[in-house]
Amino acid sequence: MTPFRSAPAGYVARWEDVEREVLARVARDVAELLRAESGIEPGIEVGDGVAFTGVARVPQDPAVQRLLPDAHDEDADVATEFRHLTQTDLAARKVARLLAFADAIDPPDGSADDPRDGAEIVVPRESAQDFAGALTDARLVLGERLGLVDDADVEALHDDVLAGLEDDVDDVDDADDADDADDLAGWERVGLSGPERRYWGGVFVAAGFAQESLVDEMLADLRAGRSTP
Amino acid sequence: MNGQTTTHATAVAATEVERETEAAAVTATADPWVTIVWNDPVNLMSYVSYVFESYFGYPPPKAQKLMMQVHHDGRAVVSSGPRERMEVDVQAMHGFGLWATLRQSGSSGGASEGGAA
Repeated sequence: MTPFRSAPAGYVARWEDVEREVLARVARDVAELLRAESGIEPGIEVGDGVAFTGVARVPQDPAVQRLLPDAHDEDADVATEFRHLTQTDLAARKVARLLAFADAIDPPDGSADDPRDGAEIVVPRESAQDFAGALTDARLVLGERLGLVDDADVEALHDDVLAGLEDDVDDVDDADDADDADDLAGWERVGLSGPERRYWGGVFVAAGFAQESLVDEMLADLRAGRSTP
Repeated sequence: MNGQTTTHATAVAATEVERETEAAAVTATADPWVTIVWNDPVNLMSYVSYVFESYFGYPPPKAQKLMMQVHHDGRAVVSSGPRERMEVDVQAMHGFGLWATLRQSGSSGGASEGGAA
């Protein structure tokens, strides 16, 4: 995976096939989870600007609660009314951009313009905000699954993932076995094994690397007056 | 609105609209709401800055200051105004993936503009 760089056609990076496939699968899974948890019936089109009615319900999955949070932290009535008025549209927009993101990096079989085999990913400027938003939602769900509660959890994960790339000794499981429950790291509380954590942690770090480089370029263009937000 | 108003009636109506606008402005000033963005460990600092600059149109120094406030204090008031406007802002923040809430300014625990409690 190379960082995104600004080019005339948009923001350009090279991703390995496995990176495309894994991140596309995560995005499609998150889209499906959002649909199921927010009350969007299967088969309903979620294309841009399509208005439809739906019964907003409070998501049960904590990761989806993070994507569709309460709009008031103290007044439950305000939060409920807001959710009723906005959740279906918000969830539908997130689903649509997650699926567009997945199709952009991992075109469905039979697609005429399959860009794989080392070809570049080109994110046009006008869709960069949606691309970055899809990466955000995917990272938020991965972060929840990885038990990332505070900045220290994220730093520890980054360190462990990068260390794992250099040294594949599988000692992560045993390192903290003697610790009290109070001392458990977030990822241990959520019940991930060491290898699971390292795998999904790697996906989280890669998605963050992609997003960081993309947003740096978007921010530079915005400040130079070159973007179309 | 219909197409049959005389010039005089239009002028009267315009005056009424002005009065209503003034009344709404007074209400908004006396009873403002705020949009609060909360810290989370996942969102990138550069992304939060991008959202504040691109959505609110804040100049980079102000966006940077608010982003650092979210990062260090756990939250920051990023906009204020009538409730309807704040609902639009909160929904936009949720669209970007930021954790945001609205609150009536001056309610218990409410943060003042530009500063977290």
